[in-house]
Amino acid sequence: MSKQELLFFFSAFLFCSGLLIAVTKKNAIVVLMGIELMLNAANLNLALFNFQKRGMDGQLLALFIIIVAVCEAAVGIAIILKSYHFYHSSVLDQISDLKEKN
Amino acid sequence: MELKVQLTGISESVGHLLPELVLISSLVISLLLGLFLKKNKQTILYIFSLATYLASFFIIIQTWPHQPVSLFGGMMRLDDFSAFFKLLFFTGGFLTILISKQKGETASEYIILIDAILLGACLLAMSMNFVMLILSMELISLPSYVLAGFAFDRKSSEGSLKYFLFGTVATACMIYGISLIYGLSGTLDFSSNQFIEALIDSKDSLLFVASFLILTALLFKIAAVPFHLWAPDVYESAPTPVVAFLSVVPKLAGLAIFIKMVLALNLFGQSALPWSMIVAFFAILSIVIGNLSALVQTNPKRMLAYSSIAQSGFLLIGLATMSMEGIHFLMFYAVIFLIMNFLVFAVLHQFENSINIQSVHNFAGLGRLSFLPAFSLLIGMIALTGLPPTAGFTAKLLIFTSLWTSYEDSHSITLLILMVVGLINTVIALFYYLKIPYLLFLKEPVSGSVAIKNSFPRNLFHLILVMLLIYLFLLPGGLMGWINQITFVL
Repeated sequence: MSKQELLFFFSAFLFCSGLLIAVTKKNAIVVLMGIELMLNAANLNLALFNFQKRGMDGQLLALFIIIVAVCEAAVGIAIILKSYHFYHSSVLDQISDLKEKN
Repeated sequence: MELKVQLTGISESVGHLLPELVLISSLVISLLLGLFLKKNKQTILYIFSLATYLASFFIIIQTWPHQPVSLFGGMMRLDDFSAFFKLLFFTGGFLTILISKQKGETASEYIILIDAILLGACLLAMSMNFVMLILSMELISLPSYVLAGFAFDRKSSEGSLKYFLFGTVATACMIYGISLIYGLSGTLDFSSNQFIEALIDSKDSLLFVASFLILTALLFKIAAVPFHLWAPDVYESAPTPVVAFLSVVPKLAGLAIFIKMVLALNLFGQSALPWSMIVAFFAILSIVIGNLSALVQTNPKRMLAYSSIAQSGFLLIGLATMSMEGIHFLMFYAVIFLIMNFLVFAVLHQFENSINIQSVHNFAGLGRLSFLPAFSLLIGMIALTGLPPTAGFTAKLLIFTSLWTSYEDSHSITLLILMVVGLINTVIALFYYLKIPYLLFLKEPVSGSVAIKNSFPRNLFHLILVMLLIYLFLLPGGLMGWINQITFVL
């Protein structure tokens, strides 16, 4: 297996584990960590694919995604803090006033 | 020399972005006004933002029709298609501010967030490159998450948290999908020849995975099944004007980029994936699940959330036809959708000031006590169902006509199923859309219920929207003729 293939599989592994964390974990902050893993998987992919191409657009997009990830984390932590203020918990199962009432 | 050419290109491009520049300066000025104003903060800010939206609206009208022009080295393209959606966004922003009543201390933040969403929506409608797509999508999403929590209560914070978590996961999936597409095609510009040539013969299963990952975030943005789960919670908990805004502007922006994305990935019909069938599949799912879930709701805002999911399905029909005609009718539907959605939410907001609207049963008998708001709500609901004499009927009729034409051309069984499902669901929709008008007019008022607070400006506002809906039913030709002039090439 070449180095590139190895890195590609590694990024796929990162993405899958990030998605798994985001879907299964109960704490909102851990879900945020999973989302960061997914974004980093995309960054790794972009940097990797950029090696075989002319230009820099892949790596530039990776830089932009780092910025996007920071913004998401900032807004996300603020929202989690706000709901912690009301529910005294960041566990998603306990933050469930809104649901189907039949 | 290379650098000089690029710099000239950038400075020329800036001139085409006048509406956005107005919006950005309004954003900064609102921020400063919010800091320094002490008295009448809310009124001044509202009038200022209404003026900027009007100004941007008329700048776009002034420069109509647009020669398609590529800006910032192919990052975005300004054409009639994107300008049309920009007009809708500014109208949406204008109507939202008109019905909003955010309190003084948060008024400037409220306006800044709405400005930011409008800016993101405008850029998204123009974007032609994955970099621009991701950035403008985030510019819409992040303020939306915050706005959803703007009631500052327990439920609202929960709605905003759920919206945020679903949204970021969907965005992260899309970004990973884009990185895969970049690996396959070697370019981030999805309108370029290189993109088409690289993908045209690709039967790679990676392309399949990547396309679906990209669709995740787009379907999330327009609240289509199976990524609709956030919608009922957010609609129930967020302030009503914010809901009206979120159900129109981000949805239409998402739709604009959805059209571009699907047409790009369709590769002029050369793609290995049957895109028409895929879009039809999501349309069927949205219509059926949206309508059936709406039937059992008792909270009006939750019901409208599911109705809005079903409406996304109807909008997608226009794209499923994969024809210019279908997309024109979709744009017509988008205009009508904007009017009727704002009408219904504005009336609900008026009711909300007097009664608790958590349950439809609180509406019983109020139609006799306050006729005008109840009548406007009735017209809005009839339009959402798609019955004459409202433009909702015209829009549905046109979109089904284009679907039938497309079926006759292709004999695709999926399109036929979509047609049948759509028509049956229009009937099902009657039951829940007319539930509130039924309670309003045909039930006896509960003892002790009083007429809701009447206000002349609000009634006038509703009546104008009602008149528009009826006018566009009687004479759709003007609007349709104007939309038909919009040509769209990727």
